[in-house]
Amino acid sequence: MTAALFTAVLALAAVPVQEPEARAWTIQAERVYTGTGRNMERSIVLVRGGQVSAVTANADEEKERTQDVLRVYAVTAGLVDAGVRVTNWTSVEQSNEVTPNLRVADTLDPFALDWDRLLRSGVTTVLASPLDRNVIGGLGVVLKTAGPETIAARTVKADAVLRGSMGSDPSAGNHPAFGRPTDFYSRRPTTRMGVEWEWRKAFFDTALNHNENDPGRATLVAALQGKLPIFIQAWTTQDIRTAVFLREEVQTRPEFAAAGMNKPRFVIDAAAEAWKEPQLLARSQTGVILPPFPPAGRTRENAFMAWNTAKVLKDQGVAVALSSHGSGDLEQRLSVQAGYAMAGGLTFEEALAAVTSIPAMLLGVQDRVGTIEVGKDADLVLWSGEPFQPGARVVGTIVDGVLRYEGWTAVQGATVER
Amino acid sequence: MLSILLALAAAPALQNDGPLAIRAKAVWTGGGKVLENAVVVVDNGRIQAVGVDVAIPDGAELVEHDGVLTAGLIALHGATGAVGETRDGTRPALPEGRVGLAVDLRHLDFVALREAGITCILVTPDAAGITGGTTAVVKTAGGTVLRDPAHLSLVFSNEGLSGNTPPTSTSGALALLQNLFAEPRGIVAEARAGKLPCLFEVREREDVRRAIAFAKDKKLNGALHGAALAGEVAGDIKAAGLSVIVPALAIGTPKRTLDAVIRLQKEEIPLGFGLDTPWNHAEALRLSAVMCVRAGLDRQAAWEALTAGAARIAGIEARVGRIERGLDADLVMWSGDPLDVGSVARRVLIGGRSVAAQEEVR
Amino acid sequence: MTTTMTRATGAVTLTTACLCLATAAEAGEGRIAIHVGRIVTMAGPDIEDGTIVIENGRIQSVAKGAKGSWDAEVIERPDLVAFPGWVEAHSSRGMDRANENIEVAPFLDVRDSIDPINFYFEDCLRQGVLAINVQQGNMAAIGGQGRVVKPYGLTIEDMTIRPSSGLKLVATRPGRSRALQVQSLRRAFNELRIHLEKLVQDKKDGKDTARREALFQGRDPDKEENKKGRAMEGTATWKVKDLEGVPRGQVDEKQEPLLRLVEGKMMAFVACDGAISVVQALDIARENGFLANTVLVLEGDAWKAADRIAEAGVPVVLGPTLLYVERDPITGKEVETFVPGVFREKKVRFALQSINASAQSLWFQAASCVGYGIPREEALAAATKVPAEILRLGDRLGSLEAGKDGNVLLLSGDPLAVTTTVQYVVLDGNLVYDRSKDVRVQQIIEGVEQPNAAPASTGDEELDPHSGEKKPKSGPGGKKD
Repeated sequence: MTAALFTAVLALAAVPVQEPEARAWTIQAERVYTGTGRNMERSIVLVRGGQVSAVTANADEEKERTQDVLRVYAVTAGLVDAGVRVTNWTSVEQSNEVTPNLRVADTLDPFALDWDRLLRSGVTTVLASPLDRNVIGGLGVVLKTAGPETIAARTVKADAVLRGSMGSDPSAGNHPAFGRPTDFYSRRPTTRMGVEWEWRKAFFDTALNHNENDPGRATLVAALQGKLPIFIQAWTTQDIRTAVFLREEVQTRPEFAAAGMNKPRFVIDAAAEAWKEPQLLARSQTGVILPPFPPAGRTRENAFMAWNTAKVLKDQGVAVALSSHGSGDLEQRLSVQAGYAMAGGLTFEEALAAVTSIPAMLLGVQDRVGTIEVGKDADLVLWSGEPFQPGARVVGTIVDGVLRYEGWTAVQGATVER
Repeated sequence: MLSILLALAAAPALQNDGPLAIRAKAVWTGGGKVLENAVVVVDNGRIQAVGVDVAIPDGAELVEHDGVLTAGLIALHGATGAVGETRDGTRPALPEGRVGLAVDLRHLDFVALREAGITCILVTPDAAGITGGTTAVVKTAGGTVLRDPAHLSLVFSNEGLSGNTPPTSTSGALALLQNLFAEPRGIVAEARAGKLPCLFEVREREDVRRAIAFAKDKKLNGALHGAALAGEVAGDIKAAGLSVIVPALAIGTPKRTLDAVIRLQKEEIPLGFGLDTPWNHAEALRLSAVMCVRAGLDRQAAWEALTAGAARIAGIEARVGRIERGLDADLVMWSGDPLDVGSVARRVLIGGRSVAAQEEVR
Repeated sequence: MTTTMTRATGAVTLTTACLCLATAAEAGEGRIAIHVGRIVTMAGPDIEDGTIVIENGRIQSVAKGAKGSWDAEVIERPDLVAFPGWVEAHSSRGMDRANENIEVAPFLDVRDSIDPINFYFEDCLRQGVLAINVQQGNMAAIGGQGRVVKPYGLTIEDMTIRPSSGLKLVATRPGRSRALQVQSLRRAFNELRIHLEKLVQDKKDGKDTARREALFQGRDPDKEENKKGRAMEGTATWKVKDLEGVPRGQVDEKQEPLLRLVEGKMMAFVACDGAISVVQALDIARENGFLANTVLVLEGDAWKAADRIAEAGVPVVLGPTLLYVERDPITGKEVETFVPGVFREKKVRFALQSINASAQSLWFQAASCVGYGIPREEALAAATKVPAEILRLGDRLGSLEAGKDGNVLLLSGDPLAVTTTVQYVVLDGNLVYDRSKDVRVQQIIEGVEQPNAAPASTGDEELDPHSGEKKPKSGPGGKKD
């Protein structure tokens, strides 16, 4: 193929092959950005058994070198995207607007093309959630974007969050019953207040034990007790406020305290207008995931997202994670979102945290992923230049110690000795 | 006196109700065995004798066939005779629905099946909701229902989902399936007890995995239908002990799909071919097998999948699928090698009666 | 038509946004000296601590220690980087509507459609794109004349850098089969030939129709250029004999631009979104004598015809999507191809187009090229010098050299860094943009505050979620509402 030099072909074959053992790698990089605040120049990251076994300067540990050596400009931890949209209408059971116990893991397809697309942009861990057509859609799962060809084998944390939505997504497409109700869309809420009422009803029913036989009760109990974080989509200011006020209601109303269910933990997803309410989010200690930065201000639901949103929130002490919503486009992928956040005022370290350690923390998997530290999963991204600059790209992605994406060419990006 | 009836005659069904003897240049009895210049004796709708030195009984009509004689083909998965009756959209679970009751056994569509050498067909409900009911095996002539119910159909593909009625999601469908099997009654209880095999309707490889997981959990057996690339997860299917019904393959089927079928056979997973009538023509059944053979499938395995193997999947191996004494006289006289697309079915017998005949063109 | 409304609000925006230092521009005589920490000249090595001197709207010198005239305006910013303006080789934005639904309309001109107060130009200025070749969109077979403009000026004339930059031809039209579209193109040239032959024949027959038609169209038959006849020139594979007998002024004005194209006197920008269309477009250009003046504007899988393009020696303008993704039919996996790399390998000159006029403008595309292995100089050139050359404006735009137009960007950092912003823009030696006074960019970066936002919490107080009023902070299980 004439364009071979600039064609990046994936290393995976279509017919499933024997799973490669977690390889041992020595990665020599000009820059190692560990994400712990300690960055190193001209250093080595050693990978063994699927985990990072050492991070050291060149001179030491020469004797521990493995046979396979990768040389690249920069290494960071694998990116974590807590807001990908990799599911479609088959992931949400719309016959009932509140379905807390349904698991999105049951609907995921390990053969879907989305995973490879995410891999090519350096994303190694994602939160997959049901489509936001239900008020409460079900249980999201944290999984790696590569690995053995089953969802179970890639799962980092099953039933990790309870996913729901405010705003117009759960009410879009519903209609009042004209004459005779013709389908269940006539029973579902058609307005924002209807959506919010469903949330409160679910919570109050749980606290007052009105939903004893409901299969979703146990999940709601765990969520209200704070054992299961609640990820709630809210694009506009009014929806963000509604979500925060709902949480404060649960925290303060005696019905919930009496039942011991007054400690819910909220994370707001796609909080485009969070820049308008930083104090509100700070005082309620609500974490936030931002949607992709829109080029000229307006994004979905006509929400206006300022480019300094991440900085404004960070300055108020709000935990901010960035998201690409699963896009692999050069101008929208997660790595370049971090660049945009820097254009909006974040430092490199802060932008790095916003796409690695902070989303890992929000998902509760920070002990395994999010930084380059000895003992953590060997999820690494190899860069041809300074990460997050559009002038650099992802040339390799390692997941659990296995090189899952090789994007370098014979003349550019990285070199490897096997 | 032996009346020699030329196989070339354009006569309709053999009128003689007495014993019939067919001497064919090659007789495929099943299991890979081919008998040259053998005789098959048929009486009272059954095969009485098969062999090279078989004695022809007195009064029997002798038919000389200058071609190949085989058991009738068995198509798995179709809606012949029940078009429009295979989907009830009023509820997601209708396990007691019996499509066998809806088949019009005199429907004209059966003629095409007979002429293609197909003597049995598994009629199946649509993949709608979580179960559309049970399947039934019918003969393509004579009004015989061989087995009803034959399987309980369970849906694991997105085809079962709808935008308007529950379930609208894969997880919702799984929840409904769990409920259905939580306190099983009637047909579901039979399936749960392993007495009734299931037909798992799938499409993607991940659907196959979900179906297998469910089957393991509820200790169900049966066959998977609908996934063109099922062979790429053949290891999982083998471990679960399920069979696979390969969907009808047209000309132009991608190599990847054909390779997947071959992988199934290499893992020794029982195979059959589906036909999805009336959307596919009856000849597509044999063509599916030919496409696989061209791509490298073992000939004998392909033939098994059209006959004895299919009979096992349909649960009718005690009646049809091989040329063996005691089995029904469902036979096809081919003009040549049936795995050659140029061959046609000269004459087809079901229960010993001729139900289709085709003149040779000079 | 909504132009009246938009013009009114637009004019208000223009003045309140203070994008142009109106007084300075009017008073500006194109005379300025810019002293910066680094000059990226695009004509040799960068100059540290250099000065650019502009006189009469043209660059006089670019050097360390250069001095301007005593009364020139001075910009003294050693913290900034100077860079030539980005050049957009093809765009269909900035007009009130990009498309006319006449199939063959070479007589149209984007001059009549460009809207000087369109936000597109504001965004271009903000991002440092200082020359834009505006062409009609892709919903015709032969569109009208394009024009190279700068994103600044209250009238078209003020904005124009070069009128009549070239005709737009479209080899692939959305919603139409390629066969039909190519046939439309061929037919247009065929009809030109038929028209010319008829003119010649009518002349020989002594008929007056052409002259009367020309009068009807408003052409003066006694004007010098309209009186002369001329044999058909150029390298087209077809020629019309005896055309010299027909006064040029009598050629139908609707066909006349096409004749000029065929005679090699005009550029053609041909849009192709696939490899097949590329081959067809090159064939048509060859047959009709304008291959030497052709520029291909590519999208989709047109890169697969790179060999043919290299053979034909035409330059290309690449579409906004630089990474082409297709599914391998055998394995089912996605395969990515970085399109500029293909053209670089085949040694085809390529210019880049921006994804949008705002955040992902030409700098982003050039940076992506660097990411995929194209050397920095070449990537920068693909959005400056190469598009300037392609537009036949290489002597005026694309680099900071003596003699070229006085267009300079003052950047806060490296041109390809994501955190870099355009701080000032100098156009023709006049300071026309000052980011600190750009209200709209402040709104995009910092957001637009609304009057009913939740006020700041001071720590001891909090908001009652139901009434919205301040109240003292309550502990857990606080007072019931």
